[in-house]
Amino acid sequence: MKSTYVWAIVAGMGLANYTVRFIPMALMARLEFPKTVQRWLSFIPVSVMAALVVGEVLRPDGKWLPPLENPYLFAALPTAFVYYKWRNFLGTTVVGILFYLAFKALLG
Amino acid sequence: MPTTPLQQPSCPSARDRLVRGIRQGFPIFLGYVPVGTAFGILARSWDLSPVQAIACSATALAGAGQFIGLSLMKAGADVASVLVATTVVNLRYVLFAATLSPYVKTASLPGQAALAFSVTDETFAVNMNALRRGTGDVWSMAGVGAVAWTGWVLGTALGALGSGLIGDPYRFGVEFAMPAMFTVLLVAQAEDKRHVVIAVVAAILAVVFALVLPGKWYIVAAAIGAATFGTVVYR
Repeated sequence: MKSTYVWAIVAGMGLANYTVRFIPMALMARLEFPKTVQRWLSFIPVSVMAALVVGEVLRPDGKWLPPLENPYLFAALPTAFVYYKWRNFLGTTVVGILFYLAFKALLG
Repeated sequence: MPTTPLQQPSCPSARDRLVRGIRQGFPIFLGYVPVGTAFGILARSWDLSPVQAIACSATALAGAGQFIGLSLMKAGADVASVLVATTVVNLRYVLFAATLSPYVKTASLPGQAALAFSVTDETFAVNMNALRRGTGDVWSMAGVGAVAWTGWVLGTALGALGSGLIGDPYRFGVEFAMPAMFTVLLVAQAEDKRHVVIAVVAAILAVVFALVLPGKWYIVAAAIGAATFGTVVYR
């Protein structure tokens, strides 16, 4: 592949990805939002998290897996329970990986 | 919504808060190294030099966007269409950056510029969780960003420079690091009944939107839908 072509894309990608992050953050940090907008924004994190879990667990790597053959789904349930009880972020992530390895082995 | 995250009851030093962020971001590191490695291997196999692959990861820090960029380059697309495609894929960062914005008011403009650089799905999830429970601030956000960036660039370098040395990182189950982390953060965010209901609505919308929308648009669509539902129902 031509070097100038690749470098143009690498530079452009860096710039474009930075712009979509920085402009909204810098602009909106200067505003005071009305109460309704503040409440709306306060619901964004939990909504994003739920959507991310659905995508990562039900459709890993962009492929839907049948629920009963899905080690991601089987591992996510006890992982959620362990965090609910233990409240340890990093520890639960590691335990979750162990659950996943176990279910992956079990489900073949 | 806390507007002055720096005024915690106990105010640890900036260095302590930075270290706390590095700890909070460590699961991201675990998840980014193998995916970065995959990107590095793929980039090399498609004729990018190691320097180009590493430079791309170091400046874009844009998982899905980078993979799509690679495949379009491979297909010989022109520069503009590659850039438009990778940018559109990552437009959800606009929503994330806007949601984070009230928490970075105390930072200077250069500080905000530095924090904005590290906004991804994963850093957003970890930072919002910490900010909402009072264990996050601009310094911990910097730590989260630094450890995430390091994992992504280190992984890319490993893949681009010689993946034969480590073999297949997936035998360690690292592909579950990100799903496990998001699951944990979802439980952490479901702090009362309202949030549980909104999470269920978001999950249902995510399934529906993932079936009909391309790429990662279901995240933005489900989040906007569920947050609007919450705002209307819980006034």
